[in-house]
Amino acid sequence: MKIKNLISVKVFIILILLQVLPQTAYSQISEIVSAVTFSESKEGQPLSVRVDLKQVSQINSVTMAYRNLSDSEFKLREMELIGSSATLVIPGDEILVPTLTYYVIIQQTTGEEVAYPEGYPSMAEPLQIMVTAVSQKDKEIVVLSPAPGELVPLEDMFISISFIKAPENVDVSKTKIELNGVDISKMALVAGDLIIFYANNFPGVAKEGAQNLNIEVFDKEGKSYHKIKSNFQAAQGDYYTSLSTKFKYLANVEAESRNENFGGAAIWYNNLTANANGSYGDWELRGYAYLTSEEDKKLQPQHRFSVGINNTWLRLRVGDTYPRFPDMIMDGKRVRGVSGALELGYFNINATFGEIARGLEGSIIETYPSISALGENIIKVDSAKYGNPYAKVNLGTYNREVFAVRPSFGSGENFQLGFTYLHAIDDKNSIELNTPKENIVAGTDLKLAFDNQNIIFKTQASVSLHNSNITEGTFTDEDLDSLFKSDDGSLSGDRDQFETLRDLLGNFMTVNQFIGPINPEKLSSLGAEAELQLSYFNNSVRASYIYRGNDYQSFGQDFVRNDVKGLNVSDRIRLFDNRVFLLFGYEKLEDNLQETKQMTTFFETMNSSISYFPRNNFPNLTLGYSTFKNYNDIDTLGEFSTDDITNRISAILSYNFIAEIRHNASFNVSTSTREDNSLINADAKYTSLSLSVNSFWNSDLASFLSLTYYKSEISTEPYNYTMLSLGGKYQMLDDKLELAVYLSPSFGDYKRQSFDFIGQYEAMKNLRLIMQIRFYTISGQSANSISGLTLRYDI
Amino acid sequence: MKRKLTYISAVIISLLLITTITASNSEPDDTPVALVKKIVKDVTHRSGQEGAWEEAKTGIPLKNGEEVRTGYKSLALVLFTDGSGLIRVRENSILHIYGENVDQKLSKNTFIQKGKIGFDVQKQEDEEFKFTTPTAVASIRGTAGSIGVTDTTTIITCRRGLIGITTQTSSGDLPGGKTANINQKGDIVITETTASEQEQHNQTEQTETKTIKIRTREGILEIDYYPPLGQGN
Repeated sequence: MKIKNLISVKVFIILILLQVLPQTAYSQISEIVSAVTFSESKEGQPLSVRVDLKQVSQINSVTMAYRNLSDSEFKLREMELIGSSATLVIPGDEILVPTLTYYVIIQQTTGEEVAYPEGYPSMAEPLQIMVTAVSQKDKEIVVLSPAPGELVPLEDMFISISFIKAPENVDVSKTKIELNGVDISKMALVAGDLIIFYANNFPGVAKEGAQNLNIEVFDKEGKSYHKIKSNFQAAQGDYYTSLSTKFKYLANVEAESRNENFGGAAIWYNNLTANANGSYGDWELRGYAYLTSEEDKKLQPQHRFSVGINNTWLRLRVGDTYPRFPDMIMDGKRVRGVSGALELGYFNINATFGEIARGLEGSIIETYPSISALGENIIKVDSAKYGNPYAKVNLGTYNREVFAVRPSFGSGENFQLGFTYLHAIDDKNSIELNTPKENIVAGTDLKLAFDNQNIIFKTQASVSLHNSNITEGTFTDEDLDSLFKSDDGSLSGDRDQFETLRDLLGNFMTVNQFIGPINPEKLSSLGAEAELQLSYFNNSVRASYIYRGNDYQSFGQDFVRNDVKGLNVSDRIRLFDNRVFLLFGYEKLEDNLQETKQMTTFFETMNSSISYFPRNNFPNLTLGYSTFKNYNDIDTLGEFSTDDITNRISAILSYNFIAEIRHNASFNVSTSTREDNSLINADAKYTSLSLSVNSFWNSDLASFLSLTYYKSEISTEPYNYTMLSLGGKYQMLDDKLELAVYLSPSFGDYKRQSFDFIGQYEAMKNLRLIMQIRFYTISGQSANSISGLTLRYDI
Repeated sequence: MKRKLTYISAVIISLLLITTITASNSEPDDTPVALVKKIVKDVTHRSGQEGAWEEAKTGIPLKNGEEVRTGYKSLALVLFTDGSGLIRVRENSILHIYGENVDQKLSKNTFIQKGKIGFDVQKQEDEEFKFTTPTAVASIRGTAGSIGVTDTTTIITCRRGLIGITTQTSSGDLPGGKTANINQKGDIVITETTASEQEQHNQTEQTETKTIKIRTREGILEIDYYPPLGQGN
């Protein structure tokens, strides 16, 4: 093995994306999340997200909620939780200029959910990152070779940059090229509109391993015209050859021992992670296993493992999988089982089968000989076992299995018609202290695209049925006779109708008196949406309509917003070669579709923003203004009435500049005011301001500085804090040792002192040692610490 | 008759383009049209028909009118300098590269004298991307496929996208998943790509090599070779 820390090319790309220009949100208070890190966020390009966690033993799952400025709803995706990090790659088609708004939902082992930033949605605002536009200049100046992430043999390595499509005012000869921080501009050959650098002509300039390429292009006046970054890998020829032949494989094993001490309670974690990737021709094999001392049969699964195989037409994954179907039915939920897809283009089929919840028994709080009515946590229990027939309990969780299948026709480029069926059922025998449930969802979806994707129409519709108690199973004929027998002994006509219904639906699910929805004629379990996108004359117009009945539910999707319908319209206008973006959006939604509430609430949102991406020596800038108005359809103020309006103004600046050395700076300011005219009178004001500067002193030393100021006043209750973070990273011993130190004190209503030390040492060519120590104190609480040691071995 | 005229027109236009490109070659334009991205075994190149064949090396630029020749069990990957596409030149093939850069648009017309090539071409905006063989002209717009040329036939397989084909007697479009057989008369027979043709096409997508190491008294002898169908990759 000649390459350090080589994983797979895909994993390498994700890691590089996260390392090149990470946007990290450290400066939010949270007892669970220590940082959220994004890769460079460019429109249309996949965005990698990593959430670093504390107190992992208390976490069941982590879900990322995100939306573009013009989206009506947050998309929620479960993240892949391994060790103390949760990761997700957001598909490129979901990343749009100018901002991505997000928050994180952490489900704890207690069942409680907490958000990051803490307090969202009632006590905090979601966070934003800037999404920059893909420049026309990216098409004008092209790195022909090596391709991003490509593995090339060191002795044949060459870098080629094409200026064929560059305008006349670009001066090719002035181009500055840096390979791993070394200026190689004068070593490159200029052949017309092509620049070529042959590594073989300059021995020692390029070394094996990861290669960072920075290119800066200048115009004829010497002004910076464009900057390009790229990454690839180089390996010695014999190693490259071994990779290029037959079955290619790469693997690594990581062992971690970590101690977390919170509030005086210390917990040791011992984790083992193994990754293996292989390929044979078109076929790729990927496997991973994460085994942890936290695995406990009394908790949801903590171990993670999967093996997957795929090529251009088949994908199959066994173990912990995150299948995606139309998002109203199932979208990235963890399934322990089998997921796969056959993708032939004209016909495709996706399917998944497995467990989405492990059975965890509840506990008895109190038993009763009789009760007036069953409650949410007052249920019937086995009187022989518990002494009484009723009990108040801590509800358990049933072992829940899901099966979903989606045949579809068409490749999806211009046409695709799909049909989805999902069935989820609790295993009645897995626990005692709860009520087992069942759910089926059937849906269809369609995509049409015309005129080279300038016109796109997408729609999906689903209907759900659920049964809230399948303990007694489906009605038998005798049950029906008993149920519909009149006093005179005759059977009423409804019996035959119910029998027909039972015979029809009974093939799919349990049919008894607990089946829902109770009002299907009001479309209460219908979920539907349609969207039209038009892209003409530098405008991207999008209009969508959503409808979700109050009783629509899918056990495959925990986060669908129910009881809502309405329209969303937005227009994004691109000006001056994608340097200026204007966005206008309007949305009006309402609830109470089935008139199950006392009054209807309307939700009106208006978004507007202007972004400027000069791509030269000037900051990227986005200014945004949004208004959220919620109100009822009646004037009378009552206990349940809603009447509030929130105005939010935000500005985001980011600037990469050279002042003696290279700096990446960003500045965010956001202020919002909620005027609540309801009886609750929950007026609120939030202001947050953050500034960060990352400075790269040389190829070995980098420093980080950030300052956050947060001020809120909710129902006249003020809360203010200031947080300062500073740190640095230094590489030494021929890059074998990397030391990083971060210090983060905060002042005001949130007083915390935090110290982080991370040391990485490459003990042998394939063996890396990572040591992490985090120490922090919160005013009024005992000191907390995390210390861990990780060994990583690449095979 | 109409088809014949269309074909003759296409050939004349192609020849005019080649002539124009050749003529313009005399003007100072140093920008290469393509470069050799990867070489396996025996790959040579020459600048025009009068030049001598020289050994090609990785990264070597190819200017308008240059030719690339591959030997037995050899392979060359050729990348167009506008980033529009990649050509995999299989064994025993000769490829002529023509291109003209006008107003920042590179029009490509590649003549396959013999042998087999695979291609993966991005969507073209206003630029031309054509493959010419002794019996057909194939116009490409965002397509992946392969072209094989023998003394008597041209076989074009379209994996995805659409290829416009013009011959001396016929013209038509070849969609993804189909293969066109063109005889010397220019007759086009379009059929679903058979398993055998698919395998032939897949062969053009192979770009990796196998290595045999033989320990001899003089040391270790390494043989790097392009694997035959079904044994590698």
